[in-house]
Amino acid sequence: MSHFSTLRILDLIQTMATSKKVITREEWERKLRDVKIRKQDMNKLVMNFLVTEGFVEAADKFRIESGTEPDIDLATITDRMAVKKAVQSGDVLDAIEKVNDLNPEILDTNPQLYFHLQQQRLIELIRVGKVEEALEFAQEELAPRGEENQCFLDELERTVALLAFEDVKNCPYGELLDLSQRLKTASEVNAAILTSQSHEKEPKLPSLLKMLIWAQNQLDEKAVYPHITDLVKATLEDPAI
Amino acid sequence: MPVRVVENSAPSQVSGEDASHQHALPPACSLLCVGRAFSGTQNVSSFQKDEAWRVNVRIQGCDLGHGYLCGTMEALNVPLADTPVVTFWEGEIVDMKNYTFYTGKWEATPENDIKHWSKFPAFSSLSSQVEADGGKSLDLSNYPYIFMRWKEQYFVNVGTDCGLTIAGFYYVCFSCSDGSVNGFYYDPNSSPFQKLELKSTNEGRLGFTFSSYQLQ
Amino acid sequence: MPSTAAGSRPEDLTARLDRAAAGEGEEALLTVLREVKNQIIGNKTKKLVYLHLGAVPRIVAALASARDPAVIVQAAAAIGSFACGVEDGVRAVIDAGAVPCLIAVLSHANDKVVDAGARSLRMIFQSKLAPKYDFLKDKNMKFLISLLNSDNDNVIELAASIVAHSCEINAEQKALCDAGALQRLANLLEGSSNQKDACLDSIAAIIRKNSEVGMHFASIGTGKALNSIVKLLKDRNPRTRLLACVCAISIGHASPYYVQDLQTRTKMMLILVELLEESGRVGDDAPFALSELILDDEELHKQAISVNVVENICDCLHKYLIQPRRLHGILLVFAELCSRLEECRCLLMSQQVLDTLVNALKHDCPDIRAAACTCIRSLSRSVKNLSAGHLSSERFVVPLVHLLHDTSISVQVAALGAICNVAVDFAAKKSVFIQSGCVKQLVQLSKSMDSRLRLKAISALRNLMFLADTFAKESIIRELTISTLASLICDSETDIQHQALALVTNLVDGYVDAAEHIFADDGLIINAVVRQLHSASSAEICIQGMLLLSNIAAGVESHKEAVMSYLVSSRDDKSIPFIIRFLQNKDSLLRTAAVWCIINLTYQDGPDLSTRIARLRGAGIVSQIKTMINDPCLDTKYRVRTALEQCMTFEDNIP
Repeated sequence: MSHFSTLRILDLIQTMATSKKVITREEWERKLRDVKIRKQDMNKLVMNFLVTEGFVEAADKFRIESGTEPDIDLATITDRMAVKKAVQSGDVLDAIEKVNDLNPEILDTNPQLYFHLQQQRLIELIRVGKVEEALEFAQEELAPRGEENQCFLDELERTVALLAFEDVKNCPYGELLDLSQRLKTASEVNAAILTSQSHEKEPKLPSLLKMLIWAQNQLDEKAVYPHITDLVKATLEDPAI
Repeated sequence: MPVRVVENSAPSQVSGEDASHQHALPPACSLLCVGRAFSGTQNVSSFQKDEAWRVNVRIQGCDLGHGYLCGTMEALNVPLADTPVVTFWEGEIVDMKNYTFYTGKWEATPENDIKHWSKFPAFSSLSSQVEADGGKSLDLSNYPYIFMRWKEQYFVNVGTDCGLTIAGFYYVCFSCSDGSVNGFYYDPNSSPFQKLELKSTNEGRLGFTFSSYQLQ
Repeated sequence: MPSTAAGSRPEDLTARLDRAAAGEGEEALLTVLREVKNQIIGNKTKKLVYLHLGAVPRIVAALASARDPAVIVQAAAAIGSFACGVEDGVRAVIDAGAVPCLIAVLSHANDKVVDAGARSLRMIFQSKLAPKYDFLKDKNMKFLISLLNSDNDNVIELAASIVAHSCEINAEQKALCDAGALQRLANLLEGSSNQKDACLDSIAAIIRKNSEVGMHFASIGTGKALNSIVKLLKDRNPRTRLLACVCAISIGHASPYYVQDLQTRTKMMLILVELLEESGRVGDDAPFALSELILDDEELHKQAISVNVVENICDCLHKYLIQPRRLHGILLVFAELCSRLEECRCLLMSQQVLDTLVNALKHDCPDIRAAACTCIRSLSRSVKNLSAGHLSSERFVVPLVHLLHDTSISVQVAALGAICNVAVDFAAKKSVFIQSGCVKQLVQLSKSMDSRLRLKAISALRNLMFLADTFAKESIIRELTISTLASLICDSETDIQHQALALVTNLVDGYVDAAEHIFADDGLIINAVVRQLHSASSAEICIQGMLLLSNIAAGVESHKEAVMSYLVSSRDDKSIPFIIRFLQNKDSLLRTAAVWCIINLTYQDGPDLSTRIARLRGAGIVSQIKTMINDPCLDTKYRVRTALEQCMTFEDNIP
């Protein structure tokens, strides 16, 4: 049985290897031209990217130039960006108040996000060396959250560990003090606000590009054709035969 | 939650009439119901020697709707075994709804199937139909014989190192009139056409007795 | 530190609320309200502190008297937050009269105020504790429809939440449908994702278990609404996919006409399995939807095998720490999947979930204990599993027996269901059941006032009696007693009579001396049996009774004689013996059972055989059997032939 089936597989591989279809550049470009993509759809994709990423001025300009209406009130982008900026600059309390003004449900129904914002507050206190205040804050505000959820407790313990080191660079969790931690928290808030506004958390464009790579990989098994390797320029490379 | 009884092994429940089924099921037979015992022999003769084991079978489960039958098989006086060897088997009833005459597995080709079925005299009147359309047009609901495949699933009281194999399966023909069972063991790696011959037994009682359970 | 700085401790803030309300002006009130709101959002501990300080009634009062839109917004937001995630908070908010105040806010001219009011009310209506909205009142229905027709998204979502929360009975579903709510909700499925979810949730509530309304929904826009649901099965948002599945399942159950094809149902099954990976409510609710989807759908069970549903769910079980609600749901899915197909059972048995099952039997939550029992019941529908003894080990039987004493009656019923099956065992000794106190407790339950418990207890005892050895049989009958058994044979419920008769049939099978119990106490049991055979209208009972008589007639000469005396009365009684009625019955199984009895009575030569045959002939039984020589039922026909052969052998010898 097994001997027979190995032969079969080898057989199949051989057939496939010899039967790879070759598509020339001209043929490929002709096929590409045959696929009609509406200008509006392309514009929508661009607008979706600008709105999701929060480029409010660019979105407004693009709206005027292309006549593409954003699928969200541009004013809300300004609010969202203000929250994001507050977290990025370390003023977490201000960010929390702004989120609550925007929509009180966001933090009430998203315990993880709420915890991460409070954790960020603790990190900021530690950063500026307010040790006592930090301990008190951890005790009063964060410990009860830890009781509600084991994962939070673990994260809290790691954060408090920062206090135990004179030089935080030696602390195994030192990366919590990196700016990247602020960015991480900021993008979590950004995503939550977008969700509350019925908007997708991620822009569509990057996932389209991922899909392009995936599709090329799939096609590689069956055919030789002009590839796109440089995604920035999107130039077609001649098929290597 | 309402209790749905899926299997009812009491003879009172094994009526298989259901208008929604394309094929009428084989006849319910009170000699082929749960609790019934059979005894007889299996001929395991090979080129070297003549040999037969005494065999006891007991039906443990029956679900005609799914063409399912199961039970235990006990082989006595097995050479080199110090206890009787008991196996659990599951049966497929050839009802043209759940199962046909063609096995389609267990290393049995259609040729093997026909070769074995043809050894039963009761099959001769069906063979032309089976060869023509696989038996699709046959109505076995009033046929006095029930065809089955019994496949042993595991050893009940001994380990797999008992020196016996359960790799094969039995082609079985059951007679509704006297409850006798005839079968042939098929296993490409065992000696061919080992014959199983069993008779319905009432285990020394002065009549036939019944027992049943009902699953919830 | 901001939260504990002077003046912002909860005590201080509550006091400041009072001062502001007393005349410090709306600006001061606004500051305090905003501060309280920001403290409690996301923070259960703080909510509880404020609740104890009595802040809620003060804030509701502030809301009721406020004129500044900003104050209304902050007060409404704070109230909404109190109602979120803390049951005491919901109660406090409702008790303080927040609902009418917030409803009044909905007609405010300022959009932001309306948003805040609607959000706050939605928080309240998401809780089970919220007051039920009475749709059957005309005025209420009109108001609800006006909310649904609003162009404010928050107000629409509020209306949808109210429907999802309060729509329960058929009349309400019908009323909402007639008032056009369903139509409007269907149109709103094109809206934003949050709105879609809210609408799907309320559509599910309106069509749930109501085929009329379900069919109406399916016909909206000649299937447009239904198509939207099908489209939403592929939505990016997990919650939307879940809710779309729930709606589609309801519609499928509402009308077979709209039952989706196997492909769609399989797709839904896969979607729901995938959703099990989601954290929180979506993942917790997914298995419940899945168990509804596959309910009684054997075709789908087969599909489940081929798309590896069991393996995937088991992966989840092993990979994550499963929350109780999700575990409950998963056990229900397993129970349903294993309810019909042997292949599913084998699959589950091979997935190392038995430990999970045993632990679930001992879980704190009664729903989980009951679901684990149901799951074992399904698994033990497999004779293969039973025969291998996998489920009748101490490991399962002891906790199951323990559950027979459970305080929850639904757990007791579920445990009985599992024990019924597991008791079949196939091992003659049945020692686990006898030693674990199982028999004792089953006997107690067989005397219960609740007929469900009585039925299942006697069924379990009947299965335990199946092919048991003499010792086990005697242990059971000693515990049960002759008089209890006789009274169960005469129980008011036919099903219980049937099980009791089957129990006695199993008792006598293979154990000739057991017949002594049947005739003990002046024939307490046999008289009960014969009484049933004379009067029973159900063929089931008669068949079981005749099989019992057949078993007794397979005993010694005196047993055969005793059976004869009940079949053929010795006096010149001209009434037709019941056995003749049975032989003429249209139910072939009853005819067969009656013939078996004759076969056993004439089975073997004995001193009284010729007299017995003569008496059978005299009572017209032999001639009745002769007419059955070509019975349409194959089984009956062959048994008739055997009986006649046995009678005829003697006919020749009769002068």
